Amino acid sequence: MELLQFSRGPALTFAIAVFLLGTLWRLIGILMLERRRVDAEARPGTPTPLAAAASGVLAKMWPHKTFLKSSLFSVLNGYVFHIGLAISVLLFAPHVLFVKSLLGISWPALPSNVVLAVAVITAGSLLASLVHRLTNPVQRLISRIDDYVSWAVTFLPVLTGIAAVAHIGGRYETLLAVHILTVCAFLIWFPFGKLMHAFLFVLSRGTTAIRFKQRGAEV
Amino acid sequence: MNEPATLGEALSRRGISRRAFLKYSAYLASVMALPASASQAIAQGLAKARRQSVIWLSFQECTGCTESITRSSSPTLEDLIFDLISLDYHHTLMSVSGDAAEHAREAAMKENKGKYIVVVDGSVPLKDDGIYSTIAGITNLQMLKDTVKDAAAVVAVGSCAAFGGIPHARPNPTGAASITDIVKDKPVINIPGCPPIPEAMTGTLAYILSFGKLPELDHLARPKAFFGETIHDRCYRRPFYDKGLFAESFDDEGARKGYCLYKVGCKGPIAYNACATLKWNHGTSFPIQSGHGCLGCSEPHFWDQGGFYKPLAAHAGVSAPLIGAAAVAGAAAGGAAAWIARRHQQRYLAETEAIDRSVGKDKG
Amino acid sequence: MTAQITTSGIPFDAQGQAEESRRRDLAMQAFVRDIAMTNAVQLEACVRCGLCAGACHFFVTTGDPKYTPIRKLRPLEQAYHRHVGPFAPLFRLLGIAPRVTAEELEQWQELIFDSCTLCGRCTLACPMGIDIADLVKQSRHGMFAAGLIPDRLELMDRTTKLWGSPATPAEDFADIIRETGEERGVAMNIDKERADYLVTVAPAELTEHTKALSDAAKVLNKMGYNWTYHSKGFEASNIGYLNGDIELQEKMTRQMIDTAVKIGAHTLILPECGHAYGAARWESARWYGEKVPVRVIHMTEFLDEAVASGKLKLKQINQTASLHDPCQLVRRGGVLAAPRNVMKALGLDLKELADAGAVGWCCGGGGGVVSNKRADPIRYRAFELKRRQVEDANAERFVTACGQCRITLNLGANKYKWDKKVDSLLELVADNLID
Repeated sequence: MELLQFSRGPALTFAIAVFLLGTLWRLIGILMLERRRVDAEARPGTPTPLAAAASGVLAKMWPHKTFLKSSLFSVLNGYVFHIGLAISVLLFAPHVLFVKSLLGISWPALPSNVVLAVAVITAGSLLASLVHRLTNPVQRLISRIDDYVSWAVTFLPVLTGIAAVAHIGGRYETLLAVHILTVCAFLIWFPFGKLMHAFLFVLSRGTTAIRFKQRGAEV
Repeated sequence: MNEPATLGEALSRRGISRRAFLKYSAYLASVMALPASASQAIAQGLAKARRQSVIWLSFQECTGCTESITRSSSPTLEDLIFDLISLDYHHTLMSVSGDAAEHAREAAMKENKGKYIVVVDGSVPLKDDGIYSTIAGITNLQMLKDTVKDAAAVVAVGSCAAFGGIPHARPNPTGAASITDIVKDKPVINIPGCPPIPEAMTGTLAYILSFGKLPELDHLARPKAFFGETIHDRCYRRPFYDKGLFAESFDDEGARKGYCLYKVGCKGPIAYNACATLKWNHGTSFPIQSGHGCLGCSEPHFWDQGGFYKPLAAHAGVSAPLIGAAAVAGAAAGGAAAWIARRHQQRYLAETEAIDRSVGKDKG
Repeated sequence: MTAQITTSGIPFDAQGQAEESRRRDLAMQAFVRDIAMTNAVQLEACVRCGLCAGACHFFVTTGDPKYTPIRKLRPLEQAYHRHVGPFAPLFRLLGIAPRVTAEELEQWQELIFDSCTLCGRCTLACPMGIDIADLVKQSRHGMFAAGLIPDRLELMDRTTKLWGSPATPAEDFADIIRETGEERGVAMNIDKERADYLVTVAPAELTEHTKALSDAAKVLNKMGYNWTYHSKGFEASNIGYLNGDIELQEKMTRQMIDTAVKIGAHTLILPECGHAYGAARWESARWYGEKVPVRVIHMTEFLDEAVASGKLKLKQINQTASLHDPCQLVRRGGVLAAPRNVMKALGLDLKELADAGAVGWCCGGGGGVVSNKRADPIRYRAFELKRRQVEDANAERFVTACGQCRITLNLGANKYKWDKKVDSLLELVADNLID
């Protein structure tokens, strides 16, 4: 009980503070860098930068057909755990209540046993992504500590969440506290590693799309 | 009239049939989740058990625990067990006896040295030398120490004795402490609850009497038989939780339909107690059945969990100003970092240009 | 200028006599100088999914993970994190900033030059939208500053600085134009003081593809335009763009634009060259310092417009043909329809390759790779991919709109005794004009 109070009180406060501090630091630190003007005459019919960026963000949701074969596993597995994470995080009743307590906004939740099933699939998908990273020569070569830390702080909340709900490996309040602490670890690591792609993917896809759309090229 | 030598003898004198006694033993074995064979062992053990000397101390408490155990609509076997143990001292029940009661306690301690059981309800104030609660001029702390010294075991009844309870709630003006905070050299069994379930109490005593040993305890010294599972896991409303059907308030459609009370603050998932199975008032009902969420009263600090109506999933005191300050600091640091980076880049540019000039490159 | 080998056995070239630490500092400075917000966003966004590898002809044909495109950015990335990134001041303060070593730069020379054609297939495949090809090109700025580029490219760089073109001294240009005109019986315009169209050339057109010079003239004459070649601004290939020599890039850009402005041209026509298009069409404003006051178009776009205007009538070839999409023109330049339109006007029945248009495979020789002898073995392997797709398309002709692609593909064809001749779209048009 003490641990639970610690995890959802001081630990959570600290984690959210680090998350906000680091995320804003990194985002603003990047966005306020010098901007190089692109003065090339855009092709006629170039969409506005915002429209170009938006279409780029959308277009990159699915690979070009020719790349699908070599990227099929990564793409499908990526979708499975991203959607799985979204469902587990956003549509589990206790999580909705947590967000409500924090931000005052709420939305309907899915049945708990449905979320549990989704979480189990998500955990499996995350494990598969780790196995792929360790066995695929390209991914293994380019992986860094960040990749493994980011994986761990994503996987652990899923695992401890499942354990807490299913009463595996400990008492509920202890597992709940550990679950919250792993979420704290996720929040603390988030700004400093690749988890930031949750924000950066929009900027990265967007900037490239603006460049390519003004050339009339595909993104 | 001679004092009956054993419990069995005492019961039969009271006109309790053997059949009723066996029935009780079977019931006890069942609520404590003991194997069926244990029923026979309990019956034999209890029948042969000598009357156990019990000293009941009441400290900072509301008498709710004693009420819970003694006030019943009709006398039951449990009550009789209580009657038939040698309750040599009960502060609350004997308060009218005044000085005589204290002598009875001292006499019992002397007579049953090393064998008597001390039952405590209420917490013990430690602040200012314990002056906030005294009996016959003796502080609770002193009385506890004196009484426990020659005891065989201590049973802390109710959340105040077990964990400090409401007197221990913030800001804890009397410095209230639990029995386990004070008694370190004797076995202590906690039977928390505000109040505890009578069967948990009598069952535990009966177990000790039957088997001559303490029952299996959890990490908070609670008998696992009664505190081994959460209310949530045994709650009849659990299917609604699993289906995602919740009462959003106490008077909405969901509440009327008996949906899960998780969203209105039920602490069932972290409350280890037997309310959902044994229920109260001879199996009539329990709080959730009456439409109110569990308070988690059998858990430490249940009073200080951030509100009975706040969902369990809610954060516990995330500091908005601190987080706001962190956000502002992050934004400022980001701005500063970008400014430093730009200056850094300018300096580098100047340096490279100086190098270019020094090697006389043509700038076109 | 010496060919060397790193301790891990990777060949590299080094120019100049600078100490290793000095080289590293020079590279870092150049990396740092060039990083702007867009690059930062992209350098930060990688999730190491590795999907870029599957798009790269050098990885696909060798299976060697070291060719993974995103990995080629490591030195640039380290410079970024140490000096520009949002946590850079903190990293420097704590002394934990990654620091690229000279050894690493030497090792990376092969990855940044030999095994990258800047084709940008990786960019297209990247789910995060990181423009990897552009960042590799930017990495070359630092490598050039450090004197760590392949000697063959450096030789072209020096020649260009000396001559104004890697192919021939600028003072010979007018003669080459006149001689070619006489040889092929085409009226040439050279160094006219006023003209509406300034026509520029690629190095190969001054040596083996001289027919392109007279073919361009033929088409422009046919259109009746006031055009000229000009000795002061003819070289469009922009070696600086490929080598990471930004001063040379700026110089070559200015020469062309200034000449166009001087003669009052409203349009600058680029030759059949991919990188010329990347450099002049999309990057010239950056080096010119403001919006370029003339219209810059590729020869293919010019032909497309001429055909569309109805003024250019063409004989029908009536054969099947496949098209090799030059990366800089199509994938990175957006000129997808123009070559197809022109082929249609020529009566060529287009048999698209399995991967055509924006996803087309590189010829394997872009980005200076074809000029870099050391890269021959992997370049030929990359050629295999293209050859297979061309054979599968089973067309009578094989056409492209980039001289460098033509050279690369013909080198491949020679090596493998492949009987497919690569046609230039301009030459096909010039050969089939209706009088």
